[in-house]
Amino acid sequence: MPQLSSLYRTLLRGRAGLLAGAALLLGGLLTGCDLIEFSPNETRPPEAYRDLTRKNLERLLQQPNPTGGDTVRFVFIGDSQRFYEEAEAFTQSVNQQRNIAFVAIAGDISDFGLIREMRWVHDRLKKLNVPYLTVIGNHDVVANGREAYQQVYGALNYSFEYGHTRFVFVNTNGREYGFNGRVPDVPWVQQALAAPGPGVHRQVVMSHVPPHDADFDPQLVGPYVQALSTAPRVAFELNGHKHDFSIGQPYENGLTFINSYSFEKRQYVVLTLWGEKQFKLDTVQY
Amino acid sequence: MSRSFLLPLLLLAPLRPAAAQSAAPAALDTLSLALVAPPAPATAPEPAETAAPAGLTAQPWYRPHHLLLQTAAGQGLITAGVGYTTLRGRVDIDVLAGYVPSRYSITPMGIFTGKAGYSPWTLPVAQGRWQVRPFTVGALVSHTASQGLNNSRDGKYEKGYYWWSSRTRIGGFVGGKVSRVIGRTRYGHPRTLGAYYELGTNDLYLSSIFTNLGGLGVHEILTLGFGVKFDL
Repeated sequence: MPQLSSLYRTLLRGRAGLLAGAALLLGGLLTGCDLIEFSPNETRPPEAYRDLTRKNLERLLQQPNPTGGDTVRFVFIGDSQRFYEEAEAFTQSVNQQRNIAFVAIAGDISDFGLIREMRWVHDRLKKLNVPYLTVIGNHDVVANGREAYQQVYGALNYSFEYGHTRFVFVNTNGREYGFNGRVPDVPWVQQALAAPGPGVHRQVVMSHVPPHDADFDPQLVGPYVQALSTAPRVAFELNGHKHDFSIGQPYENGLTFINSYSFEKRQYVVLTLWGEKQFKLDTVQY
Repeated sequence: MSRSFLLPLLLLAPLRPAAAQSAAPAALDTLSLALVAPPAPATAPEPAETAAPAGLTAQPWYRPHHLLLQTAAGQGLITAGVGYTTLRGRVDIDVLAGYVPSRYSITPMGIFTGKAGYSPWTLPVAQGRWQVRPFTVGALVSHTASQGLNNSRDGKYEKGYYWWSSRTRIGGFVGGKVSRVIGRTRYGHPRTLGAYYELGTNDLYLSSIFTNLGGLGVHEILTLGFGVKFDL
């Protein structure tokens, strides 16, 4: 191939080779930049957007309970998906609240399961004066969203204790897994709610899809509700998905379910808990 | 995936020795200028067969006009492709296969992209040794193949549960290209090796910004990519 070899020499002699090299180098340098994206479905965020659940929990556990005593107070909302203007306004409103320990977001951080959406949401919520904690929603599981969520936020099932309360956050987006009988992970839920120490006055469960919804794995509704109602001192379950506030006891066992406003409703709930199952709801418009 | 990377190599094979090209360098020089500038006054009439316009008509349809190597712009970490130039050098139509390793995904992704770019101006620089395309506008459609990618439209859902496809993206971009002219192609056109950039976005990012005018900045939805394009 004499033509190819002469071409190669021409390349080396000329500045064209430098040009190509410079373009690739520039591309490499800009990889750290937000504009560079191998795919909208890529799952690796920069360090500032990684492990947010761990970072927020560390922050939360370092801060003293602002209400003190037996009481804990937090903001409850869900479904931030594609409501960026509202997220900005929400942040400003919550920052004016007093004695809030943290913000709980009941899933659907993103709409399309894209990492960039999770970053857009965090860019607004990172201005909160208090930590915020999330649970994964069905939209966060679309495409590569599950891994994007794990990278940006963290575990899909996790629990923590704060203000004499154990919070158990569970992935209940069964439809996204084709109702495979493993989501939610009922044995994990049983274990997470088991044997609360004397310092734990109450337990709160949060998941995105409520069990009385068609997107909850039908074969797990019974075992899941059973796990919650037999566990000690479960005050209520918090949900999102329905994009509007509701409170009720859909099952005979008397377990209370509270559904969150979505960001687009420009309202959120301030939940104050004390005693074993005592709570107060305050709705705030923003 | 690995086979598609061999494709560009196969396409290099039919290149013939350069004998035909060096036969009439003067006449071909004139032609190369005709590609990028209005025709010169008819001081030296050219043979009819070399006066054919640049583009698909000048060579067999199955023989790509250029090879591409690209990174980012949502089309892969490393992306290779072939393409055609038509409409007197103003339109490039490219097909690319991109790869994203599992470090950035649940399972590795193969991204297959078809795109068309319109470049109204190609400016010769330094006596035609360089070419600058200051502006390109284009559109693309891509399909992502990846075993681990959760389908937004399959048996898990009723029809219309999610309105978008998690695998197919439609996008738009603007860009530019700087090329060095290296000899001539077998058809007498100037052969260039160029570096290009693409600044673009996709349907889902656009849908996010259009429902949040003022709430999401334009800079937040942009993607950038770089590549080199080599004429065969």
